[in-house]
Amino acid sequence: MPKLNSPRDLSALRSQLEAKSRAKPMMVTVCSGTGCLACGAASVTAEFKKQIEKAGLSEKVGVRATGCHGFCERGPITVIEPQKICYLATKVADVPEIIEQTLKNGAVVERLLYQDPATGKRVQRVEDIPFYKYQQRVLLVNNVRIDPTSIEDYIAVGGYAALAKALSELKPEQVMQMVKESGLRGRGGGGFPTGAKWETTRNAPAEPKYVLVNADEGDPGAYMDRSLLEGNPHSVIEGLTIGAFAIGAHEGIIYVRQEYPLALQNTLTGLDRARQLGLLGTNILGSGFDFDVRVHRGAGAFVSGESSALMNAVEGHVGEPRPKYVHTSVKGLWDKPSCLNNVETWANVPFIINQGVEWFRSLGTKGSKGTKIFSLVGKVKNTGLVEVPMGMSLRDIVFKIGAGIPGDKPFKAVQTGGPSGGVLPDKLLDLPVDFDELTKAGSMMGSGGLIVMDEETCMVDTARYYTDFLAHESCGKCVPCREGLRQMLAILNRITTGKGEEGDLALLEELCSVTKVASLCALGQSSVNPVLSTLKYFRAEFEAHIREKRCPAGVCKELIAYEIDKARCKGCGLCAKNCPTSAITRTPSKVHEIHQDKCVRCGACYTVCPAKFRAVAKVPASKVRTAA
Amino acid sequence: MSDARKRTGSMPDADAKVDVVVIGDSESMCKGCKQALEGGGWGVGVAADGDEGLQVVKKTRPRVVLLDLDGSGTPGTDVLAGLSRTDPSPVVVAVTGRGTVEAAVECMRLGAFDVLAKPVAQARLLDAVGRGMKLSEVRGITAAGGKAGTRGKYDVLLEGLEVLSQSYALGLERQDFLEELRHLEAEARYHAESLGQVKKREKAILDIVHDFKVVDDVVEKHGYRKDALIQILLDIQGRLNWLPGHALRWLAARLGVPVADVCTITSFYEAMSLTPRGRHLVEVCLGTACHVRGGPELLTKVSALLGIKAGGTDLRGNFTLKTVHCLGCCALAPVVKIDGDYHSNPTMDHLKKTFAELSKEETVTCQN
Repeated sequence: MPKLNSPRDLSALRSQLEAKSRAKPMMVTVCSGTGCLACGAASVTAEFKKQIEKAGLSEKVGVRATGCHGFCERGPITVIEPQKICYLATKVADVPEIIEQTLKNGAVVERLLYQDPATGKRVQRVEDIPFYKYQQRVLLVNNVRIDPTSIEDYIAVGGYAALAKALSELKPEQVMQMVKESGLRGRGGGGFPTGAKWETTRNAPAEPKYVLVNADEGDPGAYMDRSLLEGNPHSVIEGLTIGAFAIGAHEGIIYVRQEYPLALQNTLTGLDRARQLGLLGTNILGSGFDFDVRVHRGAGAFVSGESSALMNAVEGHVGEPRPKYVHTSVKGLWDKPSCLNNVETWANVPFIINQGVEWFRSLGTKGSKGTKIFSLVGKVKNTGLVEVPMGMSLRDIVFKIGAGIPGDKPFKAVQTGGPSGGVLPDKLLDLPVDFDELTKAGSMMGSGGLIVMDEETCMVDTARYYTDFLAHESCGKCVPCREGLRQMLAILNRITTGKGEEGDLALLEELCSVTKVASLCALGQSSVNPVLSTLKYFRAEFEAHIREKRCPAGVCKELIAYEIDKARCKGCGLCAKNCPTSAITRTPSKVHEIHQDKCVRCGACYTVCPAKFRAVAKVPASKVRTAA
Repeated sequence: MSDARKRTGSMPDADAKVDVVVIGDSESMCKGCKQALEGGGWGVGVAADGDEGLQVVKKTRPRVVLLDLDGSGTPGTDVLAGLSRTDPSPVVVAVTGRGTVEAAVECMRLGAFDVLAKPVAQARLLDAVGRGMKLSEVRGITAAGGKAGTRGKYDVLLEGLEVLSQSYALGLERQDFLEELRHLEAEARYHAESLGQVKKREKAILDIVHDFKVVDDVVEKHGYRKDALIQILLDIQGRLNWLPGHALRWLAARLGVPVADVCTITSFYEAMSLTPRGRHLVEVCLGTACHVRGGPELLTKVSALLGIKAGGTDLRGNFTLKTVHCLGCCALAPVVKIDGDYHSNPTMDHLKKTFAELSKEETVTCQN
């Protein structure tokens, strides 16, 4: 494909591509994000291609492997266009039937459709499925329509029109003004007004200036940025280029964590293709603006996602933060003005330019405009990626979109903001997702991880889990974070192993107060949130661990044990077969028993005992063991 | 003195390497010399007289010949002449009863390397033959006989001289150059030993040369940019499957950064491994979503099955077990990633089968 030398070339190419796709309206799109690929999506795509070819339908029907559709619980997902019929959990064996029924005869394969759990009714179209219905998919809408490795697909759905408009019709200051007025706030967790950051960078008196994409996404349980980069890398590249134009930067860097190999690959492919078409490089679209991007890989450090740490890593030093008396937007990479934004923030920019400020401001709340992508994970039925307008309540997200807790067990808490955030109990479920509201409640928006927890999640263990994670990831530079987290972890470890003492909770709170105030960077400062929020809303659980040496949720390994009910055991032996430490033996009466000294409490026997017997029970450790 | 009885020489096995041939008609002398020389670690052939001796020499191509000049039969001088015409011509140590200076000079003029007076002391004998061996080496005569086209000692020596000259051109003093080489050789041996591998010296050196070449290749691909250090380290690990100490020191020298800087980075990042990794990487996700959906239990199961703790490698070098936060496929929680394949909520059976299959494979390590 020849280089595009002007906006007109781009529009001409777009018209061409649109005409091409109109000529072949039927399309089988198979979700091929990392999650669905792990469930065999690649084989499904290959099978479709093969069978369609065999049936002689290749002229009429296309097959496209797209990025993440979001409904990860039910992958691999196949959507048939233009009817938008959505088939869930498609397997290779389903392909012939789909071709025969849907592609040839226009009928649906009922068993593969979504079924409403309440009414039993089958839902055909994508947008009628409750999971999708209540979302507002602005950023993710194109994930289901394009092959992420194809720049043509992106252009065909309107890609790079915003860049062309900005370069040919607007001045850099105008672009900046639009972003400022839109009210867009950083999507990486900080929530800082994006336009203000751009302006500071632009006005900083030094050259050259840099723009950076933070795709480190270290929050465990969050994978929004992964799906954006895997599924639609060009949206980020376009946003970044527009931003560079507004700021006056000519070099961009995308920092991708090494745990996302597919995102890395698709980004590199995208950059190559953009360069080939002249959408990156010198004199982009004939505007005289030069800009290029390179990619820097992370190497497995959570703290390197902090902006000053990230810049240190890009410079080739170890990725540790530095005190930010002078903002990185003034003195960042190599002491030059550097504007760092999250993947999702950059992806919002083309929409603001294309649809306008008014449109963007019509979504969301007073303080938080636009939409936000969340990863809804944990104890929830519809695990996946959801995009909602700011202001939707957590209740709606968990119950309307997520369809509630598996087994309809009672809701216990939802954790937002990753290791920097906190838990919110049932009584706060009606809080809207909004930067300021969530912070007021003791948590924070964070990058978008929403972990749902039920009665079988121990809050003390949750606090310990996050503290363990942060203590490990702390860079160690400053004492309050390094030592504070270490001591907090020691206390929490004691509590979860039945060695908690009176006074531990007061000591924890005291440690938190120092760490929060005196730490060098946000990792340390916000590390207290998981502990303080679990203490605030679930203090009783902590006290049970300390005073009664009991874990109400049945999680903390030292405080629980597994026991076989002799009356219920029918001697099928499945538990013994699955025990990794051979701790289960058969007694002469066929009933099995667990040798507690060998048991490592992995729970395999509990999971594997057939439901009709349910002979393995989780009991407090004190019941089977004499010493603590 | 000499035993007039005709004696057949004793030939060693056809396959045994013969370094020295002893020619003399005194059985006791020959036997004594043979014993002494075999004690010195050399293969010995014996001949009773000059003619037999020449034939034996032609057949076995020894490096040194011990010739009794006073034997009956063909005169010693003729034997000497005959030996000098043999190809390859062995180094001759002559033994004679005529212990005069004139006699010795006469022998050496005829081509003997050294002359020993009878009775021959063992130490003197071993010393003379030893020096004769060295001389024959220098002359490039090998017992096996060199084949045309193979790299012999002289080819290597010539190359060595060229390298030495190049190092002088770079301003390196010979002493420093040799010191550096010795240091690198010691690294090779240390590296092999620390891996618990018994390697011949040549193999150990070749292995670290391979590693250094990988480092050079990666550094060049990144344009020798110091700020690409983290990327360079990731690429080196991608090729060597871990980051050996000697490779890091070489990298520091190549890039012109302090070794301490390299070590700061390698000890900071999770993904970088300073110990050899197994052929298969098993990663259990302990992200929050996996944590609430049974991630720790999955880790316990996997750890018990493989017999290793998180962060460790099994003794056979098959598996390395690591925990990660997070793989970004939270709907599949709990997840274990084995060599790039994601396994969602695997059963014990599935895990056992997968690990058993992977242990059987003769997979190629990352040394390519």
